[in-house]
Amino acid sequence: MQTTQPRRPGELVFNILMVLGSLFLLWSAYGISEFEALSAPGAVPMVTAATMVICALVILRDTLRRSPVTGEKLERDILPLPVVVTIAMITAYALLLKPLGFVPTSFLFLTVMIRYLARCSLPRSVLLSVMIVALIYLVFRLVFTVLMPAGIVPEAEIIAWVKGLFTGKGN
Amino acid sequence: MDVLQSLLIPILNPELLGLIALGTFAGIYVGAIPGLSVTMAVSILISFTFSWEVYPALALMIGIYMGGVYGGSRTAILLNIPGAPAAIATALDGYPLAQKGLAGEAIGIVTVVSFIGGFIGIATLAVFAPPLADFAIRFQPRDYMLLAVLGILLVGSLSGDSLVKGIFAGALGIGLGSVGMDPLTYTERFTFGTDALRAGVSFVAVMIGMFGISEGLMQLHTVNTPAVKQKIGRIIPSWSVVRKHLPLGLQTSSIGTVIGALPGTGGDIAALIAYDHATRVTRNPEVPFGKGAIEGLVAPETANNAAVGGAFIPMLTLGIPGDAVTAIMLGALFIHGLNPGPMLMVEQPDMFWFIVSALGLANVFMLIFGLTGIRVFVKIVEMPRSVLLPVILLLSIVGAYAVSNSLGDVYWMLGFGIFGYFLKLYGYPLGPVILGVILSRLLDDNWRRAIISDQESLWMLLKGTVASPLSLVLFVTVILIFVSKTPLWGMIFRKKAG
Repeated sequence: MQTTQPRRPGELVFNILMVLGSLFLLWSAYGISEFEALSAPGAVPMVTAATMVICALVILRDTLRRSPVTGEKLERDILPLPVVVTIAMITAYALLLKPLGFVPTSFLFLTVMIRYLARCSLPRSVLLSVMIVALIYLVFRLVFTVLMPAGIVPEAEIIAWVKGLFTGKGN
Repeated sequence: MDVLQSLLIPILNPELLGLIALGTFAGIYVGAIPGLSVTMAVSILISFTFSWEVYPALALMIGIYMGGVYGGSRTAILLNIPGAPAAIATALDGYPLAQKGLAGEAIGIVTVVSFIGGFIGIATLAVFAPPLADFAIRFQPRDYMLLAVLGILLVGSLSGDSLVKGIFAGALGIGLGSVGMDPLTYTERFTFGTDALRAGVSFVAVMIGMFGISEGLMQLHTVNTPAVKQKIGRIIPSWSVVRKHLPLGLQTSSIGTVIGALPGTGGDIAALIAYDHATRVTRNPEVPFGKGAIEGLVAPETANNAAVGGAFIPMLTLGIPGDAVTAIMLGALFIHGLNPGPMLMVEQPDMFWFIVSALGLANVFMLIFGLTGIRVFVKIVEMPRSVLLPVILLLSIVGAYAVSNSLGDVYWMLGFGIFGYFLKLYGYPLGPVILGVILSRLLDDNWRRAIISDQESLWMLLKGTVASPLSLVLFVTVILIFVSKTPLWGMIFRKKAG
């Protein structure tokens, strides 16, 4: 049941947070219906949260018993720069998706990410991004008709214009 | 109309045949894209096929379903990202094979055994539907509750090196599944007074975050590692390999069919239980489980495809969906004026045999497309990871947004992605979290039904469990799984050996 791996950087803090989080959930679960009845809406959440507390305490005890890894570093092995940059980029994507729209946001996201991760030239990143966004747009927006935010792109007008071309009404 | 005539409807009609082929082909790729679930695809299809005749609509949906369950294994093998929860167990041995450059071989075996599993599930549906459904209907609420506990415990015990972390992850999943309004009393649970949490946490957002984003973040650690060139010399596995694993495949197909037939369960649980079964019955695998064992591919893939046929059994005979996809199909049948349930087989047996035939054809198309498309598909793994990873992340975001066209789900996905990343780094298995979310409702509802019917008495519940052979078997299995992963088990057997 116990792992013999050495303690990784940040693991102790993470497990302390798990204990605290589980205790908070147990307190919240107790607040749902207290000890009203075994079939009360809070019964399963309470058992679940209590299980989490017990497990988290056992895990914390095991973590404290293990010796820390000397060769690993938090900034290199747990949160290296590419991970931090990617999390920041996904957050930025989510924030910009509504105001800018799916096409420009996806294009910007892919261009920056491919250029950063693959370290390829800007024109190559742009070309790859355009191709990928076009393919995803075709599959999701046109085939699966998934509605994505249009944002600054007059998407409806462009689609109507393209359809018009095929029906001979385009200018 | 006799059985043979009904079976021939999709075979002799080119339009229906084409729709099954198209559905299977699309299903394979939908299933393979992390974040695009078969459930989502089928639910979107309902709006397309609303005005269609019932046969074409069903043909397309059945194809998507069959192809999608199989398709999830592809990214599980190639990228360690299961395209669907049913492929979680496949990744455990499939990905190590891909890392050794044997992705083509792994996909070939998976395709053939999926076909075998699918065939057995469909044959069982055709032959044993009424008696099996009769067996499933005998399940008491406490049995469903025990089944849910069993499922979570199995995943917790097999997907990590620490049972405690597995149980913690499973409990976390149940807790996440409880968020929102209690469906029985409309009491708020874990909402902390916020409107956003009243509707609950989107399972798809949790799944994409935990499996798509966290895996993407993990792979950033090795983003500049050159891709392993895949050897695709032999795709179709040799008869000797198939024959060697056929006995296990037949066992796990049976497990998959039975699990699939139990309402509320599905291919995901079937695959995990089958994997666990394989680890117990395989004495000397050529390669250890978790390092690329063929048995680790055979068991989950036969089971999850067999579960497709199984899932139709309660749906068609009792009107109870076997899983999420059959729940949507049930809705589709109602939309088309049909009444699935015990009377369907009496009043419209042609519909039952049409579905059996369509499933059989989808299974054949799955084999054909699965074996012929490997070379192109395997090329994905040879793409530079620095280009592939941003695309996977983007697809994950689009998939999360598509659940309900809500940015809220994207934020949930990101949150669970980051949380899942840390869980992974510190050795917590993610499978139990997802399974906990899926089974939360099953567990909660049936616990409350069971305890209410036993007058709120734990003693009465225990007495009822011991008195029922089915409940007792499930209960003892739960205890055995738990004890088998504790030091107590080792002590007992050491003493015996001594």
